[in-house]
Amino acid sequence: MALDRITGEHSVAFIRSEQLFDWARRNSLWYLAFGIACCAIEGLMSASGPRFDFDRMGVFFRASPRQADVMIVAGTVNKKMAETVRLLYDQMPEPKWVVAMGACASTGGPFREYPNVVLGVDKVVPVDVYIPGCPPRPESVQYGFIQLQEKIKRQTEERRAARHDRR
Amino acid sequence: MTDPRDTVLTHALQAEGTFDPGRAPAGIKRIPSGVDGLATEHLVVNIGPQHPSTHGVLRLVAELDGEEVMNVEVAVGYLHRGIEKLGEHRRYHQLGTLMDRGDYVSGIHGELAAALAAEQLLEVEVPPRGQWLRSLMSEVNRIASHLVWFGTFGLDCGAMGQFLYAMREREALLDVLESVTGQRMMFNYVRPGGVLDDITPDAEQKLRTFLRTIDSYLDEHHALLGGNEIFQKRVRGVGVIDRETGLAFGLTGANLRGSGVPYDVRRDKPYAAYTELDFDVPLGATGDAWDRYLVRMEEMRQAARMCRQCIEGLPEGDVMAKVPRVLRPPAGETYACVESPRGELGVHLVADGSDTPYRFHYRAPSLFAMQVLEEILPGHLLADAIMLIGSVDIVLGEIDR
Amino acid sequence: MLPDTTVVKTVLTGVARAEVTATSLGVVVRVPHEDTAAVLSALKSSDLGFVMLVDLLGTDTDEDVELTYHLRSFARDEELYVKCSLPHDGVLHSVWNVYASALLPERETAELFGLTLAGHPNPARLLTTDGEQPLLRRSVPIRTLKEVRDR
Repeated sequence: MALDRITGEHSVAFIRSEQLFDWARRNSLWYLAFGIACCAIEGLMSASGPRFDFDRMGVFFRASPRQADVMIVAGTVNKKMAETVRLLYDQMPEPKWVVAMGACASTGGPFREYPNVVLGVDKVVPVDVYIPGCPPRPESVQYGFIQLQEKIKRQTEERRAARHDRR
Repeated sequence: MTDPRDTVLTHALQAEGTFDPGRAPAGIKRIPSGVDGLATEHLVVNIGPQHPSTHGVLRLVAELDGEEVMNVEVAVGYLHRGIEKLGEHRRYHQLGTLMDRGDYVSGIHGELAAALAAEQLLEVEVPPRGQWLRSLMSEVNRIASHLVWFGTFGLDCGAMGQFLYAMREREALLDVLESVTGQRMMFNYVRPGGVLDDITPDAEQKLRTFLRTIDSYLDEHHALLGGNEIFQKRVRGVGVIDRETGLAFGLTGANLRGSGVPYDVRRDKPYAAYTELDFDVPLGATGDAWDRYLVRMEEMRQAARMCRQCIEGLPEGDVMAKVPRVLRPPAGETYACVESPRGELGVHLVADGSDTPYRFHYRAPSLFAMQVLEEILPGHLLADAIMLIGSVDIVLGEIDR
Repeated sequence: MLPDTTVVKTVLTGVARAEVTATSLGVVVRVPHEDTAAVLSALKSSDLGFVMLVDLLGTDTDEDVELTYHLRSFARDEELYVKCSLPHDGVLHSVWNVYASALLPERETAELFGLTLAGHPNPARLLTTDGEQPLLRRSVPIRTLKEVRDR
């Protein structure tokens, strides 16, 4: 088992179940294969290609929102698309995270002046990580996912601390 | 030898005088629906906009009889972000930025079309080295773009392996493009008057290494995917677009050449340095998905051949003509087109003498390639429909604009 | 290559009131909008052989919407532009049964310039959702810097 590598062989680990679950979750962030625009080529295709190999971080694509943990919003969201983005987000099971990849998904990017474009996907769904760039390099996307892993880790600790304070 | 273009073609639809999107192409047998005593009905299935095989945010509303597609309607607009409208509020130098994000798989071609249109209005002469670098980068980008098509076309047919190989080759090309232009996708390299920068020794070295191996790699890839019996059975004779249909629906590029029409903008309306380059225009015979596959594979080899000629024959001199910082072309109207990996990519500019275009129109080859889908998909199986979307190679960024 | 204006005029004699001129764009045929379909089918079936509609676009000239049909003949390697104008609240008559490639560009043009589409098998909106204003009209502004900053 992979835990052996951290704790030593035949060891017994005492861990809170929520910490165990969150540890597992942050190391298998499966994203929804949902490329909207240009960023999809970099963030979904090149990143999962042989050079950048997203798979080694436990990040892999799923075609169905029902099986996905993370939604990478890779591209410009316009008014027609916004409904679909929201629908897909609602279809994803909890816990779920959203990564806004690139300038368009973060603020509207080069198309922000066009009235049909939504000024950032955070108007539609809550966003956890914003990745700057037009388009961001695959390395940036990987760094964004490392930040997301950190965030999940921190959330566990914060939740515990909050409970501790209540007691 | 007679040029096939000498015959004046008339479209089959016009001869019949009717248009029935539900009619089955010849050679496809309709399966009678309904077993005795059981009632069946047509099922309307919505495919997309979130679907792993629709190449972006294409949505198809398909009416199915069992597994057979009876009727299909394409719904687009999920990526409509106003490239044409914003072009009216950008200066001529900045049009390339928008065009990059139109056909985002082959940015150089979009930039080139916008730059050519501005140059035609300004009557600027590009120095020879700039012309050759334009051709070189176009062809490098063409191989990169066709590799994306090659990878995803295999995915559409159910083959995963060559996607990884195609992406490996593409990374080598993106290194070249990045070294020259500074970006992996949105190059903004071709400007009115020439190109931004000269080729770097590093890029030249990388490109030479790549060109030494690409032909044998392409043979391997072709053997891996095209030599597969299952793949051949899926694409041969499927999705036939005949010459008349191709012309009537405005197809261009590899899709039209797959149907046997020898039209290539690089040869018939030469731009950049294509008059001085030696290349063949591959042609298909029947216009099925297999022909389009072969045409694109051969185009990659021809592009590599042109890259070699460009590196060897690159003339000395400036890469950029002397153009003012703010371009104010005289009032007028022009159309410039280039051969992008998806077909004839055109830019229609209307200038009014100010520093921004009065009207900026983008002729997207994918739009025309997509509307032929409504015509050819009926009569095919649903699984073949997915494969056929891949075979016409569309990019939704330029369809919706 | 530019087609011969006199030949184009001869083809269109008796079909419509057409004005053929050579401009910076190429040879432009200006016709009344209601005759467009007749002119296009005459050009297509004539010896000139304009078998392909390369492109269709609209331009808002402030007074009216100008439509440009870009035709190509492979047999003679020539290009021709047919232009017509219609008012902002006008009706765009479809030419899809002459050139099937006009199907989607017509829907797009009608939608983005706020025209009514007639004679089209599927005259629905193509790119935007219901209620969106005709975005390509010059009178429709883009967002200002302030609107973008205060997002």
